Amino acid sequence: MDIRTCYQQLGGDYEAVMGRLRQEERVAKFLRLFPRDESFTLLTDSLTARDWPSAFRAAHTLKGVAMNLGLSALAQSSSELTEALRAGEPAQDPTPLYQAVKGDYEKTVAAIGALENG
Amino acid sequence: MTKKEKQRESKRTVLIVDDTELNRALLTDILAPDYDILEAATGMEAVGVLTSRWTGISLVLLDVVMPDMDGFELLSLMNKNGWLSSVPVIMISADASAGYIDRAYDLGATDYITRPFDEQTVRRRVQNTINLYAKQKVMENMVTEQIMEKERSNFQMVEILSNVVEFRNGESGLHVRHVRAITDVLLQTLRRRCPQYGLTATQIALITNASALHDIGKISIDEKILNKPSRLTPEEFEIMKTHTVTGARMLEETPNPQGGNDSFLRVAHDICRWHHERYDGRGYPDGLKGEEIPISAQVVALADVYDALTATRVYKPAYPPEKAMEMILGGECGTFNPLLLECLKECAQRLKRELDLNSDSSMSAMEIRRVTSELLAHGELTASSRTLNLLEQERGKTQFYTSMSREMFFEYDRESHRVTLSGWAAQELGLTETTIHLDTGIQEEILGAEALKDVNRLLAGATYLDPDVTGEYTLELSGGPRRFRVDLRTLWDGEDRPTFARVVGKLTALDG
Repeated sequence: MDIRTCYQQLGGDYEAVMGRLRQEERVAKFLRLFPRDESFTLLTDSLTARDWPSAFRAAHTLKGVAMNLGLSALAQSSSELTEALRAGEPAQDPTPLYQAVKGDYEKTVAAIGALENG
Repeated sequence: MTKKEKQRESKRTVLIVDDTELNRALLTDILAPDYDILEAATGMEAVGVLTSRWTGISLVLLDVVMPDMDGFELLSLMNKNGWLSSVPVIMISADASAGYIDRAYDLGATDYITRPFDEQTVRRRVQNTINLYAKQKVMENMVTEQIMEKERSNFQMVEILSNVVEFRNGESGLHVRHVRAITDVLLQTLRRRCPQYGLTATQIALITNASALHDIGKISIDEKILNKPSRLTPEEFEIMKTHTVTGARMLEETPNPQGGNDSFLRVAHDICRWHHERYDGRGYPDGLKGEEIPISAQVVALADVYDALTATRVYKPAYPPEKAMEMILGGECGTFNPLLLECLKECAQRLKRELDLNSDSSMSAMEIRRVTSELLAHGELTASSRTLNLLEQERGKTQFYTSMSREMFFEYDRESHRVTLSGWAAQELGLTETTIHLDTGIQEEILGAEALKDVNRLLAGATYLDPDVTGEYTLELSGGPRRFRVDLRTLWDGEDRPTFARVVGKLTALDG
């Protein structure tokens, strides 16, 4: 699978990321690094532990990484979660927002995995 | 050296601070072709890098949201430590809210890049910021050099003139230098103690420099009277007294294109004419009383007497500083402004140090400080890179000495609570690290609450003029308790600051 198809599958914006980072090798390289980033695990753990500041930071980091790599769907869902967590303990149960992030994250990692395997 | 090596050599260094490895890697990937990259994964790690080599870093790319010390905290710390004056910071965040951006600029960031960023934008902004800072630095150095040069020649002219007088006096030139040093110390003390005199750094520099001319009128006095080893007759003394008025007239007749009340000639005139006036009005030539005598002349008069007492003269031996102090305070050598006498008492220790320094070296601590204060007064110049390089060399020297010495030295930075131990100290104390982060909790654990209170009490009593304290304590170390003598010196950013910035110290084991 090529990178363009991969971006289609994970709900990303291939044109935009190429416009910013210029080189397809660079995009591919950092895309492959993405599953190793621990922000999502940290997010999951922090939410379970109700450690809101850590959860906010993890969501914020995930959003930033996703934005830089043009992972639009994940950037959108993690951005919503980030805002819900910004002020500390959220007013409403953040689980639905987290589930959306989880869905996008898994879809993204799966698509990158497919890229990895050719 | 090949062209490629040369290029490599001159590559500038960028420090990337971000807790997310992927983010650091992406920025490194973009910037590595043009820059040497240093990475820090936490704010504290960045502080470590900056503390040890900030003069070698051309720019910091700083993430906002990080655990423990976030980007804003690091930025304020950089601002406080004065690092921002030579290391620009570009903040990077996925957060484009006005609140964040405003705060970043308010705290001293040069630029703010939002995610997702464009490769070209990052490269260009980094490049532009570095170039701007580099240009500013070059200009700053040029101005600094020029002022230094002007200062040097001014200083030398005054030195030559006053040496002519001293030479005729049969003195060595030391007197002028001493009066200058004493005047400087007294004025600095007076400035802090008595704000009502409204002394500025520039005025102090001016008075100090002009003090060298106080006896210039002696050029007109007959050498037989000037160098007479026995007591002067009343007639001779009357002639001797004219050196004040003559000196003043010489300065009055010097063309003064700048005019103004604060000019060098004006100050020198006042000093020449009135440095033999007495606070009780019984001095000469005009019998001025109390605050009628300009403060410049009052200070130089006291400096003149103090040095005359502590120096050897044809008619008298040198008195030790303690004896001289006693004689002045006892009113044996004229009457002075009581405020000035308080200043003299306060700076007794410092005077002793300065006079030792000023005996043999022409580039004295006092002079360096004077030039610096002049520089600062002229244009708020920040440290030039030459100064920074000198500092860097000093740091290297200190590191070398401490590494070679089998003494237990340490250094404590008040701002960051970091303690740096000499290698030997770390080994003796059974520590593996030479740098530890010592917050109050750990301090108490090692020292015990009582001792910690005592150390803080001692440190609170330290002042810019009297910076050393000593105590004996038992430290709870991993190998069991041990008793130490602790010698501490507080280091200050300047005498106007209410508190010290750092403490250096030495531990001496008392239990063998």
